[in-house]
Amino acid sequence: MVAALLFAAVGIALAGAAGVWLMRNPYQRLHYLALPSGFSGLLVTIAVLLHDPQKQAALKVALTALALFAMNAVLTHATARAAWVREHGEWPPKEPPGPP
Amino acid sequence: MNAWLAGATALCAGLVPCAWVCLRARDHFDRLVALEMAAMLVSLAMVLLAEEMGRPLFLDLGLALALLSFGGGLVFARFLEGWV
Repeated sequence: MVAALLFAAVGIALAGAAGVWLMRNPYQRLHYLALPSGFSGLLVTIAVLLHDPQKQAALKVALTALALFAMNAVLTHATARAAWVREHGEWPPKEPPGPP
Repeated sequence: MNAWLAGATALCAGLVPCAWVCLRARDHFDRLVALEMAAMLVSLAMVLLAEEMGRPLFLDLGLALALLSFGGGLVFARFLEGWV
């Protein structure tokens, strides 16, 4: 069970790394940060909970997964915002013209 | 080789595409995204290595890296926004 959870966590993280490699611009690449921060952290936390009876270890791993999950949202938004400002020179983006 | 060590090794293999993007991408923000991904992979690899070694104290390294990479990413994004 633990090995299966680890296999899934590592596979998802590697898929995210491959996505960062294959996409064409930073906006597309940013989507793939969510894979390891969301799914892999959760799966590793469950694997540690099943494997290690010590509560301290499980708590630290859960904190790490929570930090990755919560901070990824802020970091993704900050990076995308900075890329947009660098490219277009203003924030927030203008509304697209509506139909006449 | 047990599952923890194999997982940590596979996660470290995931650093190769991140390094490729960091070295070869044209846009600075592509490189920044690859750096953020590498920090996440290394943080998870540290957790797996600490569990493999049976030393919960080493889990602090993964937690510290996760926290510090957040601050570092924000600072990089802020500087790349207009000053570099």
